[in-house]
Amino acid sequence: MAPSTAELAIDARRLCRRFGDVQAVDGVDLRVRPGGVFGLLGPDGAGKSTLIRMLATVLTPNSGDALIFGDSVVHAHRRITPRIGYMSQRFSMYLDLSVSENLEFFARIRGVPAALRRARSASLLESMELAEFSDRQAQFLSGGMKQKLMLASTLMHEPDLLLLDEPTTGVDPLSRLEFWRIIADLRAAEKTILVATPYMDEAERCTDIAFMDAGHIPHTGTPAEVKSLVPGTLFEVAAPDPRAALAAVCSASGVTSAHLYGDVVRVLSAPGGPDARELLTHMNAVGIHATDVQPADVDMEAAFAYLAEQAGDAA
Amino acid sequence: MMAAMLSRVSAIAAKEFAHIRRDPRTLIAVLIVPIMQLMLFSYAISFDVKAVPTVVLDQDGTSASRAYLQTYRSSDFFAIKGSINDLASVDEAFRNHLAQVAVVVPPGFGRSLAKGEKAQVFVIVDGTEPNAAQLGQAYTVALNQLYDNKVLVKWADRQGFDTTQLGRIEPRIRTWYNPERKSADFLIPGLMVVIIMIVTVQQTAVTLVRERDLGTEEQMMVSPLRLPELMFAKLLPWTLLAFVDMVVIALVGLYYFHVPLRGSVMFLSVSAGFFVFASLGLGLIISAIAPSMESANIIAIMVAFLPAFLLSGFAFPLESIPPVLQGVSYLFPARYMIVISRGVFLKGAGFNELWPQLALLGGYSLLVIALASVLYGRRAAR
Repeated sequence: MAPSTAELAIDARRLCRRFGDVQAVDGVDLRVRPGGVFGLLGPDGAGKSTLIRMLATVLTPNSGDALIFGDSVVHAHRRITPRIGYMSQRFSMYLDLSVSENLEFFARIRGVPAALRRARSASLLESMELAEFSDRQAQFLSGGMKQKLMLASTLMHEPDLLLLDEPTTGVDPLSRLEFWRIIADLRAAEKTILVATPYMDEAERCTDIAFMDAGHIPHTGTPAEVKSLVPGTLFEVAAPDPRAALAAVCSASGVTSAHLYGDVVRVLSAPGGPDARELLTHMNAVGIHATDVQPADVDMEAAFAYLAEQAGDAA
Repeated sequence: MMAAMLSRVSAIAAKEFAHIRRDPRTLIAVLIVPIMQLMLFSYAISFDVKAVPTVVLDQDGTSASRAYLQTYRSSDFFAIKGSINDLASVDEAFRNHLAQVAVVVPPGFGRSLAKGEKAQVFVIVDGTEPNAAQLGQAYTVALNQLYDNKVLVKWADRQGFDTTQLGRIEPRIRTWYNPERKSADFLIPGLMVVIIMIVTVQQTAVTLVRERDLGTEEQMMVSPLRLPELMFAKLLPWTLLAFVDMVVIALVGLYYFHVPLRGSVMFLSVSAGFFVFASLGLGLIISAIAPSMESANIIAIMVAFLPAFLLSGFAFPLESIPPVLQGVSYLFPARYMIVISRGVFLKGAGFNELWPQLALLGGYSLLVIALASVLYGRRAAR
């Protein structure tokens, strides 16, 4: 049974936003239950930031509405903002102010009392390993440290819902891991987290995901559910000339899609389509030498490649 | 409720001070540059016309013409640089900057006077020095008046055509409040206002644009902060600095240029407070609508410089500009403050005489806060 509106952290209905001629968000429905990490995945320009900004009440929808813990982003943003933390994609702290000055300022305008500001700032800086940099000006922080500072700042007023817009984009792999560790801690602290990311591998860390493309969200579900949307079997074809191999497999009947993936070709074979041996035979027949064909697990990357293609065909 | 509001306002004001501390250039721009401007402007734009270099051409050569020219020699306003022999030499004297005024007594001057007729005298003025020319002209009229009403002076400017027939000019020049026509007295109280306006509008014009560029604007939007609070808090630190500025300029005026301060310091201070707040608010409005830092700066220069100099009553009386521009001049706070400043410094005026101007500045301050909030709110996507 679907949960009622009041139980949902986010309940967006037919949300639309246009910029000039571009329909950035085009009738999005999205339901996010409290607790858990909800991943909003999609390529650049899919409309993820626009959607998040509308949910954060910093952008007004052209039509549709979204309820955050039951309150409308259009009509009741003052009831919503105390309960949310919004981290924009761009670093948006004062570059000339220090780490602690930035935390202090944003907490003060949020109305956090002085005693709590001190305590929370100390514990957040500690847990994010930023304590020793608290006097450093924000402009001299590394990319990873900047993201942690932004996250710390959105946590100072202890929001229930975190809206994180690509927090790990442009951050080194080690910092990305660290950031996801922090997100896991927040989930354990029973926060609801909506996190946008262009990295498909990060989807595996989410409890639920939505795939966004060209302003639409065609699919939501757990990672396993989304992967199960992909019919048929996935094969990885290794060949000395992957481009030629790609062209060759595309001509085989029963192949739904094929992509270059690193230096192998990923081939999605429809149910009842060719198996590994048949693929190899087909390629030999068209004169392409393949060294190996192996079945592979459908991962997020493959799922999204397929789903994006389906969405593109439908449009 | 009130406490929460004050806490937010003070948070932003404190942050603004922190920015200023981190960037001492702003402090220099606000505190040192105006003093330099005051010095430069007060020497460059001197309205004092004394000892205008003058040459004389006596084509009459009678005792009457010599006596007439003697009045120029004995006047402080003219410095006779010599006699010339023909009209062509006037051009040469002007070109060489030897003189800005030439007094020509034509033949027959003495005879006309003796017959009781109106005698003609030509005074040629170098029109490339408009201020000196205008005042030189006025002084000549006065001088002739003093010398003899029967002397009719005909003017020709450098190009050689007759401009004004002097019989019609009322040469009674009376200068009140500034009897020596010392221009510093007149200049400094106005200049104070002009400089403060230029400095203040510049400072706030970029402040909201910067928040938008940084993305910090969005973080403010997800806080309980309200726009009028933001506007007020943004103006506070600069109001304080600009006020200090104004005091320093006033002190320089008083002790260096010996400008008299005849009215109430209290009234002047309160008015100055409102004025700097209003000017900063004007900058804030620019900031609310400007699409980028560059355009904010350019608009600020346009809005601050020209109206401050030309539409404030600083350089010339507002009654003498076209009615449309007179109307436009009401949009800038400088015109109110210049009346107050000159009134308090030179006339000893106070609340009783100047309350309308003070009330206008007060209303102006509230209006700019409201307008900046509305404009900024409309620009923001929410």
